[in-house]
Amino acid sequence: MSVPAAPDLPYTDTKPLGAADFYYATNATFRFILRRLGVEGWRRYLEELGRGYFAPVNRQWQQGGLTAVARYWRAFFAAEPGASVEVVEQPDRVEVRVYVCPAIKHLRAGGREIVREFCQHCYHLGSARAEAAGLTMRLSGGNGSCRHTFALPSAGLAPQNLQAIEEARP
Amino acid sequence: MIGCYDFCGHYEWTFDWLERVGGHALVRDYWNEAISQDSQRHARELIQREGFAGMAKYWGHTLAEESPERGFTITQKPGVFRIDMHDCPSRGFLLRNGLQQYHDYCDHCMGWIGPMMRESGFVIDHEHNHCGQCWWEMRPAGAVAGHSAIGEVSGAKDVRLLPHWRPPGSQLDRYDKATDPDGKLP
Repeated sequence: MSVPAAPDLPYTDTKPLGAADFYYATNATFRFILRRLGVEGWRRYLEELGRGYFAPVNRQWQQGGLTAVARYWRAFFAAEPGASVEVVEQPDRVEVRVYVCPAIKHLRAGGREIVREFCQHCYHLGSARAEAAGLTMRLSGGNGSCRHTFALPSAGLAPQNLQAIEEARP
Repeated sequence: MIGCYDFCGHYEWTFDWLERVGGHALVRDYWNEAISQDSQRHARELIQREGFAGMAKYWGHTLAEESPERGFTITQKPGVFRIDMHDCPSRGFLLRNGLQQYHDYCDHCMGWIGPMMRESGFVIDHEHNHCGQCWWEMRPAGAVAGHSAIGEVSGAKDVRLLPHWRPPGSQLDRYDKATDPDGKLP
């Protein structure tokens, strides 16, 4: 029987939480694409994923504004096992404060070699999705805890400094 | 962030992206190198070390995690390990959410399990109907060709007994003692 677990997500499953071992596959996918196609190929993959696969979410954000962004991230992390996250709405932005990244946590617990660029994926993917929705996105921190900011253009966020995103370490 | 809740959705999207960028060979390499040898290395290590017992440990855990409603059965008999998938959680997710970018999502299983079994000394009999039902039989390499009769290994749990095993218009893909995703029977 199909039981939508998270109505604020465009895709729903019959179980309330995802299977954490899939983080292994995401990490391995990054390693494969980086090895075969280089950093530029990996960035292109994430940007096209953001504009393509996530198009339904981007439309929700475009239509619903920052309230839709906040609802989405609350529902998203509620379905990710092991996450500790706070989503804060402000007049011109939404901050997603990730205290415990569920992916980094599970990869470490499983003894996996984490792709050092892993945390950058949230920026490349998130900024492509934000841009499609008429927003801007910035990321700081990484390596297990970080802060995503989705903002209106009027917020005037400073350009992203990729050096502000930490490399993932064992 | 790329999540695990909707993993099957972006995983399936990725097959299509890789094929557009690097052709079918890149998708095959992805299943083998990224999924079989990297992501699922715990399965590979278990099965290479323990054979059928390792398969039972791996799929007993993984399928229970992905499919808490237990839409599958596992059967072990001398010389054969069988899975009957009555309600694939992965394909089911795609069907329920109307997601399809790649031409045959179900091929990914043979794409990563096939090389793992070949390197572990096993061959695979397999059929999938693209609707969330499939069956697998693993036997030591060198087993006699041909599929088991319906019900012969898993009795009443044999997925081929389901009334919707061959829905009208469905395409059944079949493998006989195979380990290559492109080794479908004509």
